[in-house]
Amino acid sequence: MPLYLPIAELSMNIFLVIGMGAVVGFLSGMFGVGGGFLMTPLLIFSGVPPAVAVATESNEITAASVSGALAHWRRQGVDVKMGFVLIAGGAVGSFIGAQVFTYLRSLGQVDLMISLAYVLFLGSVGGLMFWESVRAILRQRKGIVPKPKSREDRHKAWIHALPFKMRFRKSRLYISALLPLGIGMFVGVLAAIMGVGGGFVMVPAMIYLLGMPTNVVVGTSLFQIIFVTALTTIFHSVNTQTVDIFLAVLLLFGAVIGAQMGARMGLRLKAEQLRALLALLVLLVCFKMGVDLVVEPTELFSVGEGGGH
Amino acid sequence: MRVQLFIAGLFAFIFGSSAFALVTDLSNKRIEIRYSFDGADLILFGAVGSSAVDPTSDEFDVVIVVRGPEAETVIRQKQKVGPIWINANSLSFPSAPGYYAVAASRPLADIASAAAFESYGIGFDYLPLLARTERGLAAPDPEFRAALFRLQASQDLYRQERDQVTHVGEGLFKTDIRLPANVPVGEFIVETFIFREGSIVARNRIPLAVDKEGFERAAYDFAHNYPFWYGITAVFVALSAGWLAGVLGKK
Repeated sequence: MPLYLPIAELSMNIFLVIGMGAVVGFLSGMFGVGGGFLMTPLLIFSGVPPAVAVATESNEITAASVSGALAHWRRQGVDVKMGFVLIAGGAVGSFIGAQVFTYLRSLGQVDLMISLAYVLFLGSVGGLMFWESVRAILRQRKGIVPKPKSREDRHKAWIHALPFKMRFRKSRLYISALLPLGIGMFVGVLAAIMGVGGGFVMVPAMIYLLGMPTNVVVGTSLFQIIFVTALTTIFHSVNTQTVDIFLAVLLLFGAVIGAQMGARMGLRLKAEQLRALLALLVLLVCFKMGVDLVVEPTELFSVGEGGGH
Repeated sequence: MRVQLFIAGLFAFIFGSSAFALVTDLSNKRIEIRYSFDGADLILFGAVGSSAVDPTSDEFDVVIVVRGPEAETVIRQKQKVGPIWINANSLSFPSAPGYYAVAASRPLADIASAAAFESYGIGFDYLPLLARTERGLAAPDPEFRAALFRLQASQDLYRQERDQVTHVGEGLFKTDIRLPANVPVGEFIVETFIFREGSIVARNRIPLAVDKEGFERAAYDFAHNYPFWYGITAVFVALSAGWLAGVLGKK
């Protein structure tokens, strides 16, 4: 059944759209990730203009994060103060990202930027995650239990030397506000240019850089993603008018159904196995994007709307 | 029934006034894009009168050209920079038609000579198109011009010899022209040319409008005229949908 999307200005099969949402929802439910890094490339591969894919996906992630954040909120798993500091940084980052996005779109280089960002970040995060989970699986087989590091050891000396220290009671931290501000800003830029929530950067940064306790990491990450992707949606709406609400709602509909099934599947697998599988998936998307950049395209020309106005 | 009445009316009109050699009409002068829009078929009827051609005895050919609204269109060419392929060169066509279809009753080459089509500016090879260069508007680089037609044709937006004009008989002809789902909105012009022995003996043009309607129009206007409030709405929709999904998912 074809459905005309008035903002994307193209006609897509409604079942294909819901199906894509369901597949990505299944994977994100299984791995406990947002899924933006899968959805945006999938939309692009299926013919949605990259600018529409990125902006619309921001809108869908807002919706997808609300239910997750609510669940963590009920379990007291959100550090609101930390969340707002991250959001403050994220707002600035998202604004910068959206400006860069708009500028590169007028130059016809936005597709290149999206691909490069994906290859770079998915490649490094996927690679690290894969290496870490393989090591964990191997250690487990040999029966070695790694010594947990104390929280003080995790913090490097330069982190304690930073000014503007702030107390985050829920995370039991006393650190410089510059650090979460900087992380938030960086993730905000990624959210705006890649159409992702940025959890794949935010969560490791919270654990390894900020040293937050794991019980508040995911909830706080989701909490800040709601606000940052909401801002990103507004910036893209104002700058490029590329947010398609209808596409976002249809994707969400599929994703909600898929996520329920995926979460059940995820319970059957071990954490290390899940992480290794997720890492492979991330690397696969990265590989596909990378190949498209390197291999000579069959059609060297492309058509675009007039820029610079 | 409506078609027959329409054809009867055409005949009365043509043979009643000898001043008009050619009359055409569309089944639908206004194409509406709604949620289920998956492209449309444009049906054009026409008849030639006796002043130019005696329809009962003379052979004639029909060429129909449909042009969509003109818009600035940029063609970009990828080049290898280091290990990757990036958009390097680009050429802007300030007024390329958003849609361009040529339908004919026979293969174009059989209807008239290339020189004739060139002088009339009909067809992919002869449509007058200028590109923006440093020296102002000029004839485009042929490689980019060819790429524009190739790319738009692959999107079904530029069509040549894909839609057939059929002779119904007695000077009547009819054609179906396909408008794909990604057709641009705006004012279209449908031009009909009657060829005899390789040159145009009659021509006319009628307008056609393609527009988003109802909810689709409202959503598009809202997004483009009030982008900030559209963004706020998008966020609000997402928040409520997400909340609803959370509530339903818990049960």
